[in-house]
Amino acid sequence: MSKSGSLYIERDSLFHGLDGSIKLLMLIAWTGFVFAFMDARVFLGMILIGLGILKLSKLPAKAIWPLFVFIFVFTLFNSVFLLLITPEYGSKLTGSYTDLISLGVYSITLETVFYCFTLSLKYIAIMPITILFLFTTHPSNFASSLNRVGVPYRIAYAVSIALRYIPDVKTEVENIINAQEARGVAFRKGDAGLGTRLKNYATVMVPLLLSSFNRIEVVSNAMDLRGFGKNKSRTWYQRKKYTGLDMSFAALSFAVLAAGIVIKLTIGAVYWYPF
Amino acid sequence: MDKLSGSFVSLISKQGITAVAIAVVLCIIIALFNKKKGRKMSTKTVVAIGVGAALYAALSAISIPVGPNTSFRIAIALLPIFGAFFGPAAGFLIGFIGHALNDAFMYGNIWWSWVFLSAMMGLFGGFVCFDRKFDPLNGICTKVHIGLMYLWSLIGMFVGSVIAYLGDVYLYGEPSEKLFVQITAANLSNLVVIAVIGIPAVILIAKSKARNQGLKKDF
Repeated sequence: MSKSGSLYIERDSLFHGLDGSIKLLMLIAWTGFVFAFMDARVFLGMILIGLGILKLSKLPAKAIWPLFVFIFVFTLFNSVFLLLITPEYGSKLTGSYTDLISLGVYSITLETVFYCFTLSLKYIAIMPITILFLFTTHPSNFASSLNRVGVPYRIAYAVSIALRYIPDVKTEVENIINAQEARGVAFRKGDAGLGTRLKNYATVMVPLLLSSFNRIEVVSNAMDLRGFGKNKSRTWYQRKKYTGLDMSFAALSFAVLAAGIVIKLTIGAVYWYPF
Repeated sequence: MDKLSGSFVSLISKQGITAVAIAVVLCIIIALFNKKKGRKMSTKTVVAIGVGAALYAALSAISIPVGPNTSFRIAIALLPIFGAFFGPAAGFLIGFIGHALNDAFMYGNIWWSWVFLSAMMGLFGGFVCFDRKFDPLNGICTKVHIGLMYLWSLIGMFVGSVIAYLGDVYLYGEPSEKLFVQITAANLSNLVVIAVIGIPAVILIAKSKARNQGLKKDF
């Protein structure tokens, strides 16, 4: 994460040129479409399309790779957890029982393993478009694009304040923790028991809150002095007019979202099992 | 345990969904009503949401693991605190924005159903402000208020859990038994964090603020 608290990477590509609100719309449509299925083929296809989109956006692989590693680890843990608690869930859905590992009452079926695989693909399939939105949208474009898709501007502005203050607040948290540690308050594993360590965080919370309230006071006074919130709507410095390309991507997003909703309501997310 | 899990499973039925939908609509109406009373969102609330969400994201990095897939997340304590100081709308948005931003930046993937768990805890944490007398920044926080804070936090956790459960079952397709275990573990650890850090912090700040005793309104 850069100092400004965003992941934006400057490149010259098709997707960097798109308006932020269109990319947000694409994110919503893509996610909605993924939610409508439980089918490994669809997810594989979407992952391939997503990777193609990321390739087109010219983002450096080095920036994206850690996020993919994380999701692999996450889905692995998730799958193990799922297999431990509901080892026959997939079989309940398909109606066929193919034992893979059997330990008396407890047996993991092949159907459940494939279900875990499908679910993992589902989590990964949502990823590329979220990455695209985060890495190709300039932070000062963030709030204006939220506002453009219908979020009230005060809330959109709150999001941009949050982005602006994440690094500052992080430094503050570190400072307070260091100061308390210097006084002998234990935060590390091995220094004290679990309960004590948890309680010690209360000694971080109170000074952190008081300084945050102070910050809120100062920032809101400054904004009030500049007349924030006086009018019903506001203009944005970064906002551009929609181009033909923007409109076509918006139309595509609406079509995909509509298709997703129709499929979900008529067929439902049916689990696809090939064997 | 089985009975509890049964009550969760029964929520998938048509009646269950309708009940949840009604509850959600009620929450939104209450939130809007509260917003109307204070006319529009003040600049202070806007900034409080922004800074609160930033705090949530910054504190999300700190967690004390207690078991597999479960940890005490310090950031959760912020939700009832900011709810109590700035009202339900701020609590809701801090949970929503903070959780979504943190997920997006840390993992590049947003778990929407769990975002609502945080948002609901903030929203219900803020309902203690319905009592107009409650004013921790001026030192007014009685025992009744403390009890109310615990009560609303519990209700918020329950409503949030139901939404997280429905979202994960319907949208992501997770099996319900697994979710039941996960949600129970998450709620237990969240409850501990709120009881040990969240609500005591509000009480401490209220105690540190002087209550005016000699001032009277002159009519």
